[in-house]
Amino acid sequence: MAVNVLIVDDSFSMRSIIKKTIKVSGFEVGKFLEAADGKEALQVLINEWVDILLTDINMPNMNGMELIGEMKKDKVLSSIPVVMVTTEGSERRVREAMELGARGYIMKPFLPEEIKGTLCSILGEAEYAKKELDEGYEGGDF
Amino acid sequence: MRRKSLMKVMRAAISDVLETMFFVTVEFAESTCTLKEWFSDKQLLFGATISFSGPSSGSLWLVAPVSSLNEITANFLGRGKDEISDEEKRDTVKEALNMIGGHGFSLLGRKDTFALGIPSLIEGLTLIENMQGNSSKHTILIKAGQNRLAAGIGVD
Repeated sequence: MAVNVLIVDDSFSMRSIIKKTIKVSGFEVGKFLEAADGKEALQVLINEWVDILLTDINMPNMNGMELIGEMKKDKVLSSIPVVMVTTEGSERRVREAMELGARGYIMKPFLPEEIKGTLCSILGEAEYAKKELDEGYEGGDF
Repeated sequence: MRRKSLMKVMRAAISDVLETMFFVTVEFAESTCTLKEWFSDKQLLFGATISFSGPSSGSLWLVAPVSSLNEITANFLGRGKDEISDEEKRDTVKEALNMIGGHGFSLLGRKDTFALGIPSLIEGLTLIENMQGNSSKHTILIKAGQNRLAAGIGVD
């Protein structure tokens, strides 16, 4: 299954590295989407289907924690798995991000295998959760 | 927090970040030369600073001449040196410093106490002129392959 990946980081070099790492790791990606901060990410999320979101924490305008907070307010957006890819390695920050709903955490500097391992595990879980949802879904109004 | 321990973890962080993400071998020069002497070949210098706060506050800085940034940016992005724009070099110096700071503070062990700001660019020559009065003990002279960089810590 090809997945759409949204990468949120104020460094375009870092976005490019993450994209390249995901490509070489053999993931079937439908579309790579990018945003430079949380505000831009929300705009992308309104217009595009996203299967997984990788975000930095420390960004201008709207940081990664605020982005997760905004996504939590929306039923559809809150179901998108979020992975923090950040230099902020403090236990407090990791705990805060997980409590807010992040599904994974990758510290910069990272090795390609770390991104691959985290994505495999999270997308595997997401696929399982989606199947469960589909099986339990009884139809809607639209 | 003792500046000595901060300098030690920053050296470790510089090695980890430059070797893992930028694929260069790092050595530290034990010279006491000034930054102007370290970057004596009159190349254009790119610099970045980032503030930190916590048990102590201050800023970290990183400066590199254009030739060094050409190489590490090319390595980072996996492209040829002649394909790298100045904007990408500036982005690289900021992101390298951001990673060094974050990784350094996580290595300190007191993991829940430091917060980093957002890195900003500073003209390299201005940065080294500002640092001229600082003791060489607060400056880290870095050899990355054939290239030279420098980093340092200013504690308020």
